[in-house]
Amino acid sequence: MMLFVGRIWGPDMDLFLQRVIDALTNGSTYALIAVAMVLIFKATTLINFAQGEQAMLGAFAVLQLWNWGLPMWWAVIIGMIFSGILAAVLERTFIRKFDPADHLPLVIITLGLFLVINAIAAITWRFDPQSFPQLFPSGNAFTYNNVRLSWYSIFAFSSCVLVLIVLQTLLTKTKFGLAFRAVSSNLESSRLSGINIGPTLQFGWALAAAAGTLGASIYAANPVLQIEPSMMLRALIFSVTAAALGGLDSLWGALIGGLTIGFVQSVVVQYIPFIPNEMSLSAAVVVLLIVLTLRPSGVLGTRAVERV
Amino acid sequence: MASKIKKSNRNEGQLNSRIVMWACFVLSLLLIAFAYVDVGTISIGSNNYNLSLIRLNKAIAYTIAILGLQVVIGYTGQIALGQSFFFGTGAYISAWLIADHSWPFLLTLLIVIPACFIIGMVLGLPALRIRGLYLALLTFGLAAVFPSIVKLDKLYSYTGGAGGKLTSNYKFVAPAWLPFDEVAQALQKLPLLGGFFGDGPLSNREESRLWKFILFCVIAGICFWLVYNLIHSRPGRAMRAIRDNETSAAVSGVNLAITKTLSFGVASALGGIGGAIYVAEVGIASPDDFSSLVAIYLIVGLVVGGVGTLPGAVIGGLIYALVPDWASSTQSISFVPQRWLQGPTGSLILGLLLIVLTLFLPGGIVTGWRKLKNRFKITEARAQ
Repeated sequence: MMLFVGRIWGPDMDLFLQRVIDALTNGSTYALIAVAMVLIFKATTLINFAQGEQAMLGAFAVLQLWNWGLPMWWAVIIGMIFSGILAAVLERTFIRKFDPADHLPLVIITLGLFLVINAIAAITWRFDPQSFPQLFPSGNAFTYNNVRLSWYSIFAFSSCVLVLIVLQTLLTKTKFGLAFRAVSSNLESSRLSGINIGPTLQFGWALAAAAGTLGASIYAANPVLQIEPSMMLRALIFSVTAAALGGLDSLWGALIGGLTIGFVQSVVVQYIPFIPNEMSLSAAVVVLLIVLTLRPSGVLGTRAVERV
Repeated sequence: MASKIKKSNRNEGQLNSRIVMWACFVLSLLLIAFAYVDVGTISIGSNNYNLSLIRLNKAIAYTIAILGLQVVIGYTGQIALGQSFFFGTGAYISAWLIADHSWPFLLTLLIVIPACFIIGMVLGLPALRIRGLYLALLTFGLAAVFPSIVKLDKLYSYTGGAGGKLTSNYKFVAPAWLPFDEVAQALQKLPLLGGFFGDGPLSNREESRLWKFILFCVIAGICFWLVYNLIHSRPGRAMRAIRDNETSAAVSGVNLAITKTLSFGVASALGGIGGAIYVAEVGIASPDDFSSLVAIYLIVGLVVGGVGTLPGAVIGGLIYALVPDWASSTQSISFVPQRWLQGPTGSLILGLLLIVLTLFLPGGIVTGWRKLKNRFKITEARAQ
C-alpha cells in the first residue's frame, strides 16, 4: 500500500491525474450505454444483449447522415430518433409476445438481434474503421505540466450528466414518466389501473436506444478512436458491469458504475504491477462477479424482496 | 422406478426396430466417411461447398460442446452462455500436452475432462447465488474474457500468445488391425454406387482422416450415452426438477447446490472434450477461435437443434460447422448483390435462424419434427 501511494505522489503525479481524467472520459461513455440498459431493465427486467449493437448501428446512421451533408448535431438528433423508432419496432415484433418472467427466450432473442445487427452493419459499412465527425471542439481546455484536460472529456462527462437530468425529469415530472415508473414497479397492478402497458414499454425501449446512440456517437467521437462494427463488443461488457455495479434499476447508479469501471480500467489496473494492461476487461468481469455475488442489487438499486 | 416399468412394457417389436434404426445410422455414418474421405466439395450453381470430413469433425466438436449446453441450459435451466470459455480451456490444455509434452491425443482427454469438470464446478459456485439474467451476464463476460487471458504474456510459454499453439507434431495413425483398405475396395466394387467411393487403395492421409472421424464419432457416441443415462437417472431428474421449479424441487428434497454444480461441471467437461477434438482437427489452438462470438454460435446451435433434446445437439453442431462456412463460400447467386455475399453472411443467417426459431418453433428442429411425426401418427390412427 505504501508503495502504491509512493508511486502516485512521486514524480508520476501528472500521470496519475491524466489517468483520472481518462477514467472520467471512458466512464461517462460507458455510463451512457449503461443508462440505456438500466432503462430497459427497469421497464421489462430484461438485459438487452443487443444494446451495444443497437447503439453502434445508430452511430453508423449518424455517420451516414453526416456524410450526406447534414450538420453534425442534426445528424446526431436524427440518428437518435431513427434508432428510437427502430427499437420501438423491435420491441413490438420480437419482445412483447414473450413472458417477461421467462428469461431464456428473451436472452436468445436479444443474442439473435446482436448477431443480425452486427452482420447488417458490417455488410453495409464494411469492417474497416472509419473516422467519426468531431462532435466537440478539439484541443485542450486546460493544461498543467503534462496533464491535459481536453474539451472532449469535459463535454463527454457533461452530456452524460445532462442526459441523466433529462431522463430523471422525464420520469418524475411527466405523465408518461409516472406510467413508466408504475409499470416498472408492478406490471399487473398498473395494467389494472388502466395504464396502456405496451406503448409505455415501447417508449422505454425507444428512449433507451436513443440514449445508447448518443453514447455510441460520443464514444466514437473520441479523437483517439474510430467507428467500426465491432467497437461495441468490449464496451458492452464494461457498460453491463457499470449497470450492474450501480444497481440495474437506478439511473444515477449507472453514472456511478460507469465512472467506477472507468476508474478501474484507467487507474487501478495501471498501478497494480501483476495485472497486465490488457486485462482491464477481465478486471471488469471480476468486478461484475464480486458485485453480483455480494450485492446483486448494486450500489443504488432496489433490493429484490422474494416472498418465501 | 418409472423407467423400469417403461422398459418392461416396451414390446419386442419396438426394441427390434430401434436396434435396426441405430444399425442403419452407424452404417450410414461409415458410408459417408468412406465416400467423402477424398472428395470434399459439392457444386451448386457456380459455387463449391465444402463437405469434407474436416467439416464433419468440427461439427462433432461443436456437437459435444452443445451437448454440454443441453445439460446446463436445456435440462437444468441455468442460463450459462460461456461455453466457449470451457471449449477454449479444453482446447488449450490438450494443445499444451500434445505440443510440449508430446502426449497422444486420447491421453490428453484424461487430463482435460477432470480439469474442465473442476474449473466448471468452481466457476459454477457463484451460480448458487446468481440467477437467471445475472448468470447470463456473468457467463457472457467470462466468454468475452477468454481470448485476453490466453494472450497474457505470463502464459506465453503455455499458450503461444496471439499466434496460438501448434499441435502439428502429433499425427493420427490408424491402427493396423482396422481393415480400411479392404472395406474401401469392397465398396468401390459395388454396382452403381461404386463410383462414389473413389478408386485405388487409400493413401496414408486418407486413412488417418478416416481414423480421426471414426474415433471422434466413437467419443461423441460415448458422451451421448453417458449424458442420456445421466438425464434418465436420479441426478438428471433432480436437474429437470430444478429447471421446472426451483422451490418445489428444494421442497421435494433435491439438493440444489450439489445438483447445480454437478450440471455445471458436466457441461464444462463436455465443452472441454469438444475443444480438445477441435484442436485435434484444426491442428492449432488460437485465441480468436474461442471468442464470445463462438459462445453465441454455440447457443444458436442449441436453440436451432432444440433446447432440452439430445439429438438437437447433433443438428446444432452441423449447422454451426456448415452454415458460416457455406455462406462464405457462396460467391455468386443471381439476384443477390455481391455485397451481401461477401460480408459476414453466415452470422446474419445464424442470427435470423435464432430469432425465427424462437418466435415460431420454440422447441427447435427436433421438437418440430416430433410434433410432425405425432400428427401423422394421429391421422393414421384415425384412418384405421
